[in-house]
Amino acid sequence: MPRARLIAVVLASWACLPGSAHGATTAKMSAAFTPEHLGAPTVVSFGFQIDQSSFDPAPLTGVELAFPHNLRLATSDLGVSACPPDQLEALGPKRCPPNSHMGNGSAIVEIAFGTELVEEAVQLTLLAGPSPNGYLHILVYAKGTYPVEADVVLTAELLHGRIAITVPPILSLPGAPSVAVTEMQLTLGGHLTYYETVKGRRVAYHPVGVAVPSTCPSGGFRFAATFMLLDGERPSSHTAVACPQPHDRA
Amino acid sequence: MKHHRRGELWWRKRVRNGVGRSQSSHARRVRAACVALMSVAALCTVSAADAARLLNVRDEGRLRYVKSSGEVIIDEGHATGSFLGRVTVRFLYTGEPTVSARFTISGSAGSISARGTARLSSPTSPSPSFHGSFTVTGGSGRYAHIHGGGELYGVYYRRSYALTVQAIGKLPY
Repeated sequence: MPRARLIAVVLASWACLPGSAHGATTAKMSAAFTPEHLGAPTVVSFGFQIDQSSFDPAPLTGVELAFPHNLRLATSDLGVSACPPDQLEALGPKRCPPNSHMGNGSAIVEIAFGTELVEEAVQLTLLAGPSPNGYLHILVYAKGTYPVEADVVLTAELLHGRIAITVPPILSLPGAPSVAVTEMQLTLGGHLTYYETVKGRRVAYHPVGVAVPSTCPSGGFRFAATFMLLDGERPSSHTAVACPQPHDRA
Repeated sequence: MKHHRRGELWWRKRVRNGVGRSQSSHARRVRAACVALMSVAALCTVSAADAARLLNVRDEGRLRYVKSSGEVIIDEGHATGSFLGRVTVRFLYTGEPTVSARFTISGSAGSISARGTARLSSPTSPSPSFHGSFTVTGGSGRYAHIHGGGELYGVYYRRSYALTVQAIGKLPY
């Protein structure tokens, strides 16, 4: 009898755990180079999806995104000017220096409305931020309009071979739980216009951005992501971009 | 001066007369001993000078991007200043605040290799500058025994991957 009681207690406590603690939270990530030519300039895209299979999803508090070391994000010519975060929050990305723009993206967030979970599409803009500690800082400006109009600034730090993104608590309605990020797509590079002064004149140019490494390891270019959720869960995912064909520079 | 000339004349005269040949060979022996002593002294002076030889480096290199290898950017150019030659720099910037570089300056009398680390300031600028130190790791030719180190200054141009590097130091060799 005591054994049966013990099993019952274990089963009951298991049933009471939140969905994410069951290991039900799954994360998927994707990465791509566009175009895909070894040694050639490219646009790097990262994407991830978090499925918590829960009515009350735990908010995302951070993402750590690992990329191939030889991608050389730090030495790229993206983000050669910094946008002050206060200015970004107050006036939006259009008032930031053009040379601070690094890319864009999109996200899907889930907002609890009473007993309903409502999805909201969010536009993202990636900008270089000031560097208080010598590391490259990226600001992710997120703007959603419907059903909740809000903007928020996420901060990210470029470390050796990885980007650490911090997601602040995103409040929706008074008393309601924080907004949960369930999908995100980030693009570094693309069609950006920068300006430089040549012989006293302001001249526009397009930054080269990031280049696909000139050599590809066996198994392709590996990317990985770990997601930090407010409930303490840390689901992770990884992917690889298959080795592209050598680029013919001629 | 006059007395000295007289002495010389006296010595020549004695040799001409065939008198004092033994004195002359003695003089030669004394002279040989003196020469030997002087040579030893001279050698000692040279080695002392060798030990004190310093290469006072105050060089600047304006370097162009050549290629990259993994995370490393390889730039080349010419050094101007106290040590003229060709410079090759292997520059590593990973996003950390500290950058590192290995560089070799090859001149007509030999080459000097060194490694350095520096802290990058204002990374979100078109041309972040860095300041740190370098340590000589080896040399060749006249600088085979070079050692020491000094200060390293530089600018990294993010658009062109070019570098301007300045090395300042007193290097014994």
